[in-house]
Amino acid sequence: MSYQNSGQFTSRRQQNWSRNQNTVAYVSSVKLGPVAHTVLIALMITVLGLIYLTQATRATSYDYQAQKIDSQIAELNTQKSDLEIESARLTALQTVKNSTVAREMTTPNDAQFVSQ
Amino acid sequence: MKFELQKGSRSRNLAFMVFAIMAVFIVRLFYLQIIQHDYYASLADNEQITRLKLPAERGVIYGLDGANPVSLVINQTVYTVFADPQVTSDDDKIVEVINRVAGGNARKNIKELLSNKQSRYQILATRVSRLQAELIKKEGLSGVSFQEQVQRVYPEGSLAAQVLGFVDYDGQGRYGVEGGLNERLSGEDGILQSVTDVSSVPLSIGDKNIKVPAKDGDDIVLSIDRNVQSHVEQALKDGMDRTGAKKASAIVMDPRNGKIMAMANLPSYSPQEFNKVTDVALFNNNTISAPYEPGSVIKTFMISTGLDKGVITPQSTFVNTDYIQIEDRTISNATKGQTGTITFQHALNWSLNTGMVTIAQRLGDGTINRNARDIMYDYYHNRFGLDKITGIELAGEQPGLIISPEMTEGNAVRYSNMSFGQGLDLTMLGVASSFSSAINGGKYYQPTVLEGVMGNNGVVIKNQPKLVRQTISSETSSTVKNMLQIARSGTFLSADKSGYKIGGKTGTSQVIVNGEYSDSQTVASYVGYGGADEARYVIMVQVSGKDEILGGSADAGPIFTDISNWMLDYLRLQPKE
Repeated sequence: MSYQNSGQFTSRRQQNWSRNQNTVAYVSSVKLGPVAHTVLIALMITVLGLIYLTQATRATSYDYQAQKIDSQIAELNTQKSDLEIESARLTALQTVKNSTVAREMTTPNDAQFVSQ
Repeated sequence: MKFELQKGSRSRNLAFMVFAIMAVFIVRLFYLQIIQHDYYASLADNEQITRLKLPAERGVIYGLDGANPVSLVINQTVYTVFADPQVTSDDDKIVEVINRVAGGNARKNIKELLSNKQSRYQILATRVSRLQAELIKKEGLSGVSFQEQVQRVYPEGSLAAQVLGFVDYDGQGRYGVEGGLNERLSGEDGILQSVTDVSSVPLSIGDKNIKVPAKDGDDIVLSIDRNVQSHVEQALKDGMDRTGAKKASAIVMDPRNGKIMAMANLPSYSPQEFNKVTDVALFNNNTISAPYEPGSVIKTFMISTGLDKGVITPQSTFVNTDYIQIEDRTISNATKGQTGTITFQHALNWSLNTGMVTIAQRLGDGTINRNARDIMYDYYHNRFGLDKITGIELAGEQPGLIISPEMTEGNAVRYSNMSFGQGLDLTMLGVASSFSSAINGGKYYQPTVLEGVMGNNGVVIKNQPKLVRQTISSETSSTVKNMLQIARSGTFLSADKSGYKIGGKTGTSQVIVNGEYSDSQTVASYVGYGGADEARYVIMVQVSGKDEILGGSADAGPIFTDISNWMLDYLRLQPKE
């Protein structure tokens, strides 16, 4: 009696699971070699680096804007101080005493009080 | 195909060499990057990270104009203009522009300064305002730069100079409020640690950035009323012109809360130009830093002691012979002739030393024994605190000196002298503060020049008066107040505005020269109060001069009268009597 090889063994469970599945597998014809992989990874790293640099630069540009605004605030504060000083000088006692209005004032000889 | 290096082949040797070199690199990199990591990281940080100080702004000092705060000391940003003579090109234009714009702030010899080509830094003008600096910048002068700095500005000029003090070139407050409250006014500098670019602009990159904001100094509001201060300074000046005194000081305080309304010393100086002062004594506030023998103004406190201990009343009597013997010393009255049996009110009116010594004797049942001296010391030192530091917020306050009866020098002779104002040293502030308590119901308030702190919304956050202790009973205080009014009316009734309660005491004290009381130099004082129903002000005046004999009644009293009459109008007090 002779035996005939019936082919690859397939278990009953596998037969059940494979039911209704595609039996055709598509494989890309483009094959990437190790050099292409390396280049692609390098490109990805470069892109990520550029993104990082862009963000870092953007943050730095905000720093310059903030610095500019700080300078403006300092400038306005200085102007405010100058105006306060000018105001204080103009309303200083000596300035008021020497004003033409004050010079024309007279001291009353007598003061009358209304009873409280 | 299996690739194998043949033993001893050149390829094999080259491979070993490459590996060896690589190994050296790896070891070196390991050393630099791992072992020496902290060192090089620190070097990099030092190069890239800048640590900047965020300077705190010094607090503004306000005074009062009635109830409204007014600026007495403000900060101003000014610029120092400097040049690098090796870089400047058009020297003539620089000279013309700086002289034209900076005016009096420009150096006199700019041309000469610029001709010194060995120098890299020459100051051309100082304290140039922002507007002036902008005008100079517009000219585009090469080699000319600006350095920013903050200076204190005094809109009221020399008003209250010794109360305010000044800020020195190191930014430290000296004398007055600037010195006394230097820490509060200075604030705390902040820190900015950051990576910076070449222009020192801080960048937010990096993980070691630190920012601690600066805490600006407090904006403080003084109780000094500029109107009162101005009038007091004018009254002192008039008084000096009238009497020929070389020095004059005065304090005006509110006896209801201890707040100082005015504190003046003449001669004075301009805090803006403190560097031009040649006599540093001008910086001193003599009302707090120059203890002196107060003379007869102290009789107020002796009378208070006698009344409070119940050994006298205003109408109780003693026999005055114009002389009184204490151990080996004979004490006499400055004003003689009021002899016979007289009241203690009469003794106060005529400022009789014998009356005060008699009170001291009555405290010890007839002699100035240890018990009498202990009582006097208790009242002078513990209760009135005449010789104690008051704690006012001004730099340079000095304590007075009252010798304790426990010391050998605290004998009967000294205490008899102390009863009429000799043998003890007190500051004007010490006397004025204690005097306030003697006439306000016996309440001793800590004297203060601080009204409060300026809040962010421009509203003053007021300090509460600090009641320290009860010095005498309210009944005694009321009696003392009446006695002082009677004492004053004897001499100054016609000078005072009628309808008000005004009282006070003169003081004429000899000055110790070479260890002995001089007959050719005296210090004149006057301390008194005024008001309608209640005392609204206490004024103490002192005038003096080298080799000048000045009297409390003749020279200090009229200054008090001048200030007192003005105060009644200023406070809008209505006459009651």
